[in-house]
Amino acid sequence: MIELQGLTRRYGDFTAVKPLDLTVARGEMFGFLGPNGAGKTTTIRMLMGILVPSGGRGLISGLDCHAQRADVQRHVGYLPDNPMFYDFLRGREILQFVAEMHGLPRTEAAARTRGLLGDFGLEEVVDEFAVNYSMGMKKKLGLACALIHDPEVLILDEPINGLDPRAARDVQDRLKQAAASGKTIFMSTHLLDMAERVCTRIGIIHRGELVTTGTLAELRERVVPGGSLEEVFLRVTEESAAQAVTP
Amino acid sequence: MNQPDVRGAAPLGLSTTLLIRLRLRRLLNLMRAASIRKKKNSAEAGKRSGNPGKQSSNVVLYVFLPLMLFVFGSVARNAVVNLHEALDPGGFWRTVEFAAPFTVGLAFLLLVMWFASLLVNIASGELAKPDWDLEWLVTLPIRAETLLWARVMERSVVNPSGFMALAPACTVIAWYSAHHWTAPLFGVLAAWPLLLLAALARTIVDTGLRLRMRAEQLRNLHAVISVLSIVSMYLAMSLGITGKASFMLGVAANMPAALAWTPMGLVVQALNERDTLQALGWWLALAAETFALLWLGIGWLQHRLRNGVVSGGSRDAVRAAAAAAAGAATESSASARIGAVQRRELTLLSRDRNFLVQSLVLPLLIVGGQLLLGNSGVASSMWRDPNVLASVAFGLAAYSLSMSAFQTLNTEGHALWLLYTFPRPIESVLKDKAALWGVLTLAYPVVLFCVGLVVTPQVSWKFASAALTAFLGIPIYAFIAVALGVFGSNPLEQQQNQRVKPEYLYLYMGLAGLYIYAVVTPHPFQRLIFMVLSLLLSFALWQKARDRLPYLLDPDVAPPPRVSTSDGLIAAMVFFVVQAVFVAIGGTSGATLLVAFAAAGAFTYGMMRYVYARTGTQGVPQILGERNLPLYGVAGGLAAAAIASVYLMAMRGTPFMEEAQRAAYDGLGWWLIPLAVIGAPLFEEFIFRGLIFGGLLRSFGLWPAALASSAIFACLHPPIAMLPVFCLGVAAALTYARTRSLLAPMLAHATYNASIVAVQVFLR
Repeated sequence: MIELQGLTRRYGDFTAVKPLDLTVARGEMFGFLGPNGAGKTTTIRMLMGILVPSGGRGLISGLDCHAQRADVQRHVGYLPDNPMFYDFLRGREILQFVAEMHGLPRTEAAARTRGLLGDFGLEEVVDEFAVNYSMGMKKKLGLACALIHDPEVLILDEPINGLDPRAARDVQDRLKQAAASGKTIFMSTHLLDMAERVCTRIGIIHRGELVTTGTLAELRERVVPGGSLEEVFLRVTEESAAQAVTP
Repeated sequence: MNQPDVRGAAPLGLSTTLLIRLRLRRLLNLMRAASIRKKKNSAEAGKRSGNPGKQSSNVVLYVFLPLMLFVFGSVARNAVVNLHEALDPGGFWRTVEFAAPFTVGLAFLLLVMWFASLLVNIASGELAKPDWDLEWLVTLPIRAETLLWARVMERSVVNPSGFMALAPACTVIAWYSAHHWTAPLFGVLAAWPLLLLAALARTIVDTGLRLRMRAEQLRNLHAVISVLSIVSMYLAMSLGITGKASFMLGVAANMPAALAWTPMGLVVQALNERDTLQALGWWLALAAETFALLWLGIGWLQHRLRNGVVSGGSRDAVRAAAAAAAGAATESSASARIGAVQRRELTLLSRDRNFLVQSLVLPLLIVGGQLLLGNSGVASSMWRDPNVLASVAFGLAAYSLSMSAFQTLNTEGHALWLLYTFPRPIESVLKDKAALWGVLTLAYPVVLFCVGLVVTPQVSWKFASAALTAFLGIPIYAFIAVALGVFGSNPLEQQQNQRVKPEYLYLYMGLAGLYIYAVVTPHPFQRLIFMVLSLLLSFALWQKARDRLPYLLDPDVAPPPRVSTSDGLIAAMVFFVVQAVFVAIGGTSGATLLVAFAAAGAFTYGMMRYVYARTGTQGVPQILGERNLPLYGVAGGLAAAAIASVYLMAMRGTPFMEEAQRAAYDGLGWWLIPLAVIGAPLFEEFIFRGLIFGGLLRSFGLWPAALASSAIFACLHPPIAMLPVFCLGVAAALTYARTRSLLAPMLAHATYNASIVAVQVFLR
């Protein structure tokens, strides 16, 4: 469903993402882990057509993420790490706008907007300007924007960060539910316990290099037998060990 | 010995220095980031800079700063002379001691300048945005009082517009007080207390009011201030314009004498006093008064900040059922016809008073102010001459577009990422916005021409043609503005005033100025050529912008080079300029013309191929391709020649035609044949079919591309030949589209030219 073929990104002499090969199958919930500045957001932005790959390509549903961006977006819902919204527009209006931009008829768009705002518990603030939302509310609104057109693939940059415990749990449940209904989810996160709970497969990126991928059980077995994901993460992102565990 | 921690709150001097250093360091970093980005391969390019935006240049700093100082200085000088003539018509040059009314007048001048610069300063920031540094600075171990004093000090030093307005004016006053070459020194010294007071006023407005007003009210206040700032700027400037200042001079004459005891008045008195001891007294009085005002103002601010620097009121209050109901009601059938993007833009426009004022009201004020204050006589002649009226209408709309359509990406701002999540090309969103602004700004010509109809009831052909030129130009320039805005904006830039790259804005203004020439020119052919050129230019720029769009949020990757229409326009220009140079050197004999033509063609061709090879450009046109189909070319040429022959027969005998023929033969004679049959096809086809038509074909359909490229091809020929040459252009374009190599269109061109030469000889 999602395929990275030698996806690379350089900023001048600095290589942010080294050639990255990765396949995420339909229905998978892939957790993309890594320390700060490892290249997670850069990779996700390349998948969204926001950054242009310096080499290789990303494919979603067989479509090139850069050359066929507009077609790709039909299948994809995206939540950035720090969603920013228009001044002077209310949450409801933004969601309605996003729905219409995805080609939904206005009545349908309004109905879905109402539904999602209810689901995310945003009814109380729908008539406030979205720039004034707290971080958690912005994340929820961003997630609603990502889901409004019922996409097959969700690409989420730190979906849980900044949410309160209840909202975090709600979002995790929603994501599990989405995965169960056949959606493919690619998400980056720092929150290892969350990744442990919900992800079916995990990849760890360190200094722009995908150092290891596999299910939680496979990673443990390979890196720290009997250890937790945290121990695995700390081990593979150690400077000297980075090369040793590459599969 | 266990010494207790003696580090308490930082003292005023230290915090002030630190704050000023921080502010200057930030300014320096911004400038450095801009210069580093230009040198792509330097060592620092690989590092991540704090702000990965594509930076603007420092044109403003290097060119406009000295220019502004000069302009403000000369305005101040004129104002002083005007005030003197009005208030103290005695012997100014005999004595440097100012008469009392004149002192009051000068104080009034300083007051007006001070006020205008203050308003400009406040309007250029964003009043409703959170005060980034104050919220952060209060977390440092500095007492609020110290912080406020330091802030005022810092703002009195780092305040370019205030310095611009006050320092030259004070220098001029010092000069006329016989301070001679120390005048600049005294000028700056005298301006500083006023700058301190300006800093205080600004801090009271943006820090003090933020706690009292809701964000929405603040934005409205901002809109009002930006209008007032323009008005006050004009009032201040009007004092410096001879003959137009009677209103402000009248106000100055009626100012109470107490004005001489305000800080502005004390500045004038201190500068004008020749007796050293007395002068010291004035300076002390000025310092005391300034300090007292600062003390009062900072006391008030401290009182306001007693509960913290962030108020709960800054968030827009939830508006209950009424607002929600109103929102639902707007989604009625009336707006069903326009797209989601345009509806959103209109909603923003209706809510964001500041945006509304900036884009639609300020142009009126600024252009209106120019008309009323300037000496050009445009204001009086525009109701008599429809061309002038049309140029004013177009100018207004073009100005408004520079604040709206040009800013398309900037209005998206940090929410630009949303556009990348939609299954629509970004281009289509921009197209919707260009169309919206193209229609909205038509309001200016509509209103002006309606008034014009009332004032001069008889509608002449001239009136209709001028109106039509203005009306057609506005949508064209809406697209040009949006396309240039793609290059000229930094939507992710934090600083409001860094979001526009001035060079692109000036380019847009320059292009709009060219079109104003088209509106004013009395020659219909020139007008037509300008319109066609502008249209093609909008296509070419749009295409460049479209290539750029997928790379918009990428901090340092540019699109791969491809042959585009703008290359063709540049090549055509080079071709004609080089020819003109040769002719200017060698005269207009047949041989020179041929050499000029061949040399210019070969030069242009070689230059373009070289540039394309260097940049690895894709899609460079080739003479021989896979399908050459020479017969297609000959057939196309013959068809166009047939049409042209009929046209020539019809035109035969008209004086227009005879003159054209005579000119052609006198100039060229038999040289015409190699020029027409070999030279022209070879080079012109590369430029007009290969680059311009080929470039257009990449973005538009076959027929729009063929018609547009033929139109520009025809425009560059003499008027008599335009129609047949247009037909040839279409025929050659169609054969090029069919074969994708230049051989067929070259043959078409050669066949056509040969036939026309034959027909001409025969007709003779």
